[in-house]
Amino acid sequence: MLDRRAAFRLLVGFLVSLAVFLLFATTYERAVAPTAEFFLRLGESPAVTRIDAPGGDFEIKRADIPPGAKHPGVPAADIHFNFVLLGALFALHPRPWQGDRVLRLLAASLCLYLVHVVFLIFGIESLYATRFGEWSAAHYGALARNFWAAGFHFYQIVGRFAAPFAIWWLFGRPDPAAPAEARRGPSRKKKRRT
Amino acid sequence: MKFKLFASKSAPGARERSLGFLVRFVLFLVVFYFVVASKPVNDKVIVPFTGWIASASGKVLNVLGERVTVSGTAIRSGSFGVNIENGCNGVETALLLAAAVLAFPAGWRQRLTGFFLGFLAIQVLNIIRVVSLVWIGRHRPALFDSSHTVIWQSAVVLFGVLLFLLWASRQRPRPAASPQEKAGR
Repeated sequence: MLDRRAAFRLLVGFLVSLAVFLLFATTYERAVAPTAEFFLRLGESPAVTRIDAPGGDFEIKRADIPPGAKHPGVPAADIHFNFVLLGALFALHPRPWQGDRVLRLLAASLCLYLVHVVFLIFGIESLYATRFGEWSAAHYGALARNFWAAGFHFYQIVGRFAAPFAIWWLFGRPDPAAPAEARRGPSRKKKRRT
Repeated sequence: MKFKLFASKSAPGARERSLGFLVRFVLFLVVFYFVVASKPVNDKVIVPFTGWIASASGKVLNVLGERVTVSGTAIRSGSFGVNIENGCNGVETALLLAAAVLAFPAGWRQRLTGFFLGFLAIQVLNIIRVVSLVWIGRHRPALFDSSHTVIWQSAVVLFGVLLFLLWASRQRPRPAASPQEKAGR
């Protein structure tokens, strides 16, 4: 599973994923923001949260924040840069471009997208619960404050690194128990000259 | 084209072992997180360790002629300064490695050796990361954010994952217990 070729593929996968990330980060943020906003608003009465993704930050615009006040934000790269890790790990496979592998990568990317939505919600709720002084204390109890803040802190410290690894392990890891030939993929037979 | 979650040619029980590993990995990670995030451990272990990383990086930078000053976990080089925080001290990658090594079926000696050597390698790479980031911050400040958040964080974590895979690929699979052995337990 691990040899020089694998290390080379990992490096190429890392660079390709990095290029994709840098090119499409803002577009991706615009896909994450509305889903997170939808779920956040489900838990609000009245529904006041709006999430904008102008690039670089997820800007939180509540209808009840006074006009002219600074809108809080969550740094976007901190949430979703781990896409680069997922792409690089999928490149470890000897034939990462094969149809089955591409489907697995798409399924894994969908899982990671859901992880990003969930932890963007944690990030925003932890902002609400801890950064607005008296308002936070009035709207969030000690348990809720700790739940949202610890959840987001967990993501920042280990979750964002562990998520791509766990998803890759589930969807993309070459099975170490499979015969070596099966892991290498179909071999090319030399034509015999008669 | 058929999409299957697990390889069709996997050995019997491979799926269960794989999922078992994942569950143990996540559980160990959650436990380690709460240990590391607790105030006493953070104040008495993590912060002094991060200070040591800053000090070692400062020495390397001075050897390279950068003339830096180190104060606690902060490094200053001319008008540029960084404070090394959790997430940049290599501890997060070490926790991933520890959780994965513990979750993987192997002997305790192999686990300890694997983690210890992996931890050392991760910290060496992390010092290279800090040194390069201070240099980039001072001489190429426009590249600092992307280098810090995306490139180096990904590189260190990928290195940790590679170390784990390398270690795991060298572990002999444990022989399955025979029915007689199971009955004797």
